[in-house]
Amino acid sequence: MSSSSQSLELLFTFLSRSYATLETNFFKLPGSAVVARYVKSSHQNDPGRTLLEVILIIFAIRTLLQSRTRGDQSGKHFIQFDEKEIDELVDEWTPEPLAQPLTPEEQADLASVPVIVGPTGPKPKLASGKTVINLASYNFTGLAGNEEIKASAVETLRKYGLGSCGPPGFYGTQDVHIQLEQDIADFLGTEASILYSQAFATISSVIPAFCKRGDVIVADRGVNFAIQKGLQISRCTVRWYDHNDMESLEHVLESVEKERKKRRGPLTRRFIVTEGIFDHDGAMSDLPKLVELKKKYKYRLILDESISFGSVGRTGRGLTELYNVPASEVDMLVGSIATSLASAGGFCAGSHIVVNHQRINGTSFVFSASMPAALTVAASEGINILRNTPSILSALQENIRAVRAILDRADCITIPSHPASATIHLQVRWPTLQVPMHTSSSSSPSKPSNPLNVKPRDAEQFNIELEEKLLQDIVEEALAQGVMITRAKRLRGQELVEARPSIRLAITSALSRKDCEKAATVVKAAFAKVIGKRR
Amino acid sequence: MPSRPSPIAFQSASPTQSMFKKKSASGLSTAASYLNAVSAADARARTRSSAASSTASTPALSMSSSATSSSEDTVLDEREDFTDGLSYPRTPPTSSQVFTTVHSEFGHCANDDYRYTSRHRAGTPYKSYPEQDPPYYILLTTYISYILVICLGHLRDFVGKRFRAANYRHLLPWNGYAALNSDFDSFYTRRLKLRIDDCFSHPVTGVPGRTIMLLDRYSPDYNKTMVPTGTRTRALNISSYNYLGFAQGNGPCADAVETSIERYGVSAGGSRLECGTLDLHHQAEALVSRFLGVEDALISSMGFATNSNIIPGLVSKGCLVISDELNHASIRYGVRLSGANVRMFKHNDMKALEELLREVISQGQPKTHRPWKKILLIVEGLFSMEGTLANLPVIMELKKKYKFYLFVDEAHSIGAMGPNGRGVTDYFGIDPRSVDILMGTFTKSFGAAGGYIAGSKAVIERLRLQGHSFTYAESMTPPVLTQVIASMASIMGITMPTEKPHSSSSLALLRSSSSDVASAMSEADIIPGTAPASALPSWMPLAQPMIDGSDGRLRLSRLAFNSRYLNRGLRKLGFITYGSDDSPVVPLLLFNPGKMAVFSRMMRTRQTPIVVVVVAYPATPLVTSRVRFCLSAAHTKEDIDMVLRACDEIGDYLDLKQGPGERWPVEEVISRAVEIVRAPEMAC
Repeated sequence: MSSSSQSLELLFTFLSRSYATLETNFFKLPGSAVVARYVKSSHQNDPGRTLLEVILIIFAIRTLLQSRTRGDQSGKHFIQFDEKEIDELVDEWTPEPLAQPLTPEEQADLASVPVIVGPTGPKPKLASGKTVINLASYNFTGLAGNEEIKASAVETLRKYGLGSCGPPGFYGTQDVHIQLEQDIADFLGTEASILYSQAFATISSVIPAFCKRGDVIVADRGVNFAIQKGLQISRCTVRWYDHNDMESLEHVLESVEKERKKRRGPLTRRFIVTEGIFDHDGAMSDLPKLVELKKKYKYRLILDESISFGSVGRTGRGLTELYNVPASEVDMLVGSIATSLASAGGFCAGSHIVVNHQRINGTSFVFSASMPAALTVAASEGINILRNTPSILSALQENIRAVRAILDRADCITIPSHPASATIHLQVRWPTLQVPMHTSSSSSPSKPSNPLNVKPRDAEQFNIELEEKLLQDIVEEALAQGVMITRAKRLRGQELVEARPSIRLAITSALSRKDCEKAATVVKAAFAKVIGKRR
Repeated sequence: MPSRPSPIAFQSASPTQSMFKKKSASGLSTAASYLNAVSAADARARTRSSAASSTASTPALSMSSSATSSSEDTVLDEREDFTDGLSYPRTPPTSSQVFTTVHSEFGHCANDDYRYTSRHRAGTPYKSYPEQDPPYYILLTTYISYILVICLGHLRDFVGKRFRAANYRHLLPWNGYAALNSDFDSFYTRRLKLRIDDCFSHPVTGVPGRTIMLLDRYSPDYNKTMVPTGTRTRALNISSYNYLGFAQGNGPCADAVETSIERYGVSAGGSRLECGTLDLHHQAEALVSRFLGVEDALISSMGFATNSNIIPGLVSKGCLVISDELNHASIRYGVRLSGANVRMFKHNDMKALEELLREVISQGQPKTHRPWKKILLIVEGLFSMEGTLANLPVIMELKKKYKFYLFVDEAHSIGAMGPNGRGVTDYFGIDPRSVDILMGTFTKSFGAAGGYIAGSKAVIERLRLQGHSFTYAESMTPPVLTQVIASMASIMGITMPTEKPHSSSSLALLRSSSSDVASAMSEADIIPGTAPASALPSWMPLAQPMIDGSDGRLRLSRLAFNSRYLNRGLRKLGFITYGSDDSPVVPLLLFNPGKMAVFSRMMRTRQTPIVVVVVAYPATPLVTSRVRFCLSAAHTKEDIDMVLRACDEIGDYLDLKQGPGERWPVEEVISRAVEIVRAPEMAC
């Protein structure tokens, strides 16, 4: 008994001694007093509290130790495999071929593209040896092949070499680029402008430079592919209004405003994105109304004038000149140098703030080499010519009127394009009785389309394959008669809304009125022949 | 540290041009010693080459008959200082040397020792030069400087918004409009980048060749606005992407382009599928595929858009793209447009790649666990900010095992790497046909613009129809096409037909369609192939050095020498550089953000100005700010010497020499240049 109590006592003294040394040693540690005070105050004679603390500490340590690099593996969908199983799965996996070989139709489609031998222009020579009237190439103002432009391009080539060999940020900004930016800004009457080296890459870079996640964009349902891609990249909230319908636009603007008020969300950037003359069908926007609406609802306007710049207005300044709206009312005015000034590249004109912002945030501006100097000077020269020769634009408009006068009367052609548009889209018109797949959208216009959905409520119905085939036959028929025209090529399946197949004519001022009339007659006859045969 | 004026003094804020022309005493002494060293090195080199009785190497451009000149039209400023060695060589050419290039565009260098062949040594694994970490104090000061600048910026914003509201209006909601660019979004640009904005977007004029003409500017308001002074300064250009030196206003390529402008004008008028296809397009595409040694190629009018418009045609939803974390913005843009899933792996880390491959193949698509339709690995051949090469030998092995498709972006490596200039596949000795998609640009090595995609016929034809470029984007313009054709033919060499054929009939045949051209070309299916004369436009003037390929060989070997010399020279001096020894892109690590501006300004305001590119976050990780040199075949050895001396001087001043290993004084590096370049492995 005593021995056991003695040994117990020994144990207790040992325990208390070791506790004492531990305590003194603990208090020797710097900052230990703080820890002790913390433990004391947190314990407060309640073991539950201490337990909670301990659990918290363990949890914190566990979180810290957990590997953060393999986020996916810890996900609940992750399946654990051992090495052998992975090897088997790897062996088993057979990927699809990188690209499906072309079908015979696609092959024919690719082969049907005419090849121009020598310079393009109003009457180019084709690989078949034939000289044709060109109603397909973008050369509205007839600047392609202009001798003055050629001379200044050669002169620039000798001074600058060809390539700019660098992005604008790193010694790729040449004085000729600054000059062309100034020329464009002066020509349009904006504060500044910025050059992109490809027209197609311009707006798909301009939109995401300004519109971020959470911003609101109200866009036309018929916008071109480049805009669609810009909207996709920007990741912002997109609302759609009916193609070229200002009433629908106002509806959508109203509903967005209501939605915002309801949610009491913060003020976000809001943009209206549309085109001057639409690439899909040649329709023209009502710019004064657009500007009125954008001001009323406090939106900014991004206007793609890729087709209209250089083809409408007294000297080709585009929609702003045609409607006499100051270009400064359009916040971001995007245009193509390639189509209108017969050179290469695109631009965005606007205020200094808008332009300078893009110099850092415009992806395809920052990460791409700037335009070759010779092409830049060619564009400057082109602007100069347009400015001094209003007769070019009047000749162009006269040619457009001449072509329209003939084609408007044709009973198997529908033309959705504006009468002043230099691109004329020709669609197949089916006789009213024989409309198996085409119902006109006249039914109940009272119900507006859902702005969240890019597809309109009463979508036009058409058989793409059939119409494209017919149109291709017409193109080939016209080519046989010496007129080069083209279908409006689109990436079927990749466009948000499938546009009705059409033949796109691009009128040029370089042709005489007589040639235009002749060509239009050929096109009309080709339509009559191919469609008539089908009937 | 030597007593010098504060770094601010190097800012180009002073409108006087005298600072560029002024010769300080130290400048003179270095120039004199430099001259001595150059002539000594030249003499040594000459005796060595004559002793070795050079038989194999081609004489430098001595075929043509025209004399050494710096033609008047390229000398943009008559008041130029001719003693700086930029416009005219310091040592005038001897009577036996004939140079056909303008020295300011393409330097005169007759010494055949200053040549090298860019090639991976077979049998050795590729390993990039190990990335060295700087001492901790450098890292610490780097972080501190960022924190300081950020705090200061926020303070200025805070005070500014209250006291100078008008200046901040565009950053704040106003009149019912949200700010176009909120103060938070633009903070980095306004408060960090603006401080050193004088180092970016410097306007230039003239040929961006070996030298470049700067349009001087100054800022009266701390870089908010830049005012041109109206003066010009010629500077050594070690910044432009001009690897093979084809940025020239004179010479056979420029002659060809001039002829094409006169013939074709400057426009092709529309997209490729909407009647914007010229015969030149087919010729260029056929030549590109021949150059690369693959079946077919397509070209696009903009380099950035080549990636961003074509990748969506390759992959779609249900496909996986595995992308190197440092891939170019255009690749990311294209992948985002495609809707495919993306996974990234650590830069050039083949182990991480294999692990990732095993994971994604075994797991399949997220949630559904269905197998991926296809997996596309996208890497860059030569990474433009790192100078590292894609580890193709290992990737090819992984490709066999894991069956992914390989897309190599050769924007920087095509023309610049490999014994024949065919890019990284050539450098590593890999069959180009084993890579599924070869992408590259014409901006860098060919002095043109735009890009190409090359691969098997089936893939390319599909991309012609399904990529965005051919349907919507404008086609490449004739002058650019001609520059591509001429420069490429010049690298390849041209096989002249043995007997004079009826050129008209054969050309008509070639022009009829691209498939005919391809079949005509496949007669000699050798890699690297030469350009058959029949495939070139019949009107194109051909010069002798182009035909025998000596021009191309000279450019390639000069670039290879220059790249290796600068890379290894800088390391020998003690700098930290990244990347492969053979890479023409040489990043020199600066770390501290403040040093970027000072480095750039000091280089630009030297007696012989040198322009450099400085890059920092977001193009690089936050701490590794760097200066990037882009070498060119146009540079002479004296130019590289000059860069090395400048770096040495500034490196001492800015405490940049943090690299490990043995260090040599700069004069020793310069005098033993050939030895440095030819050493198979450099001890470090």
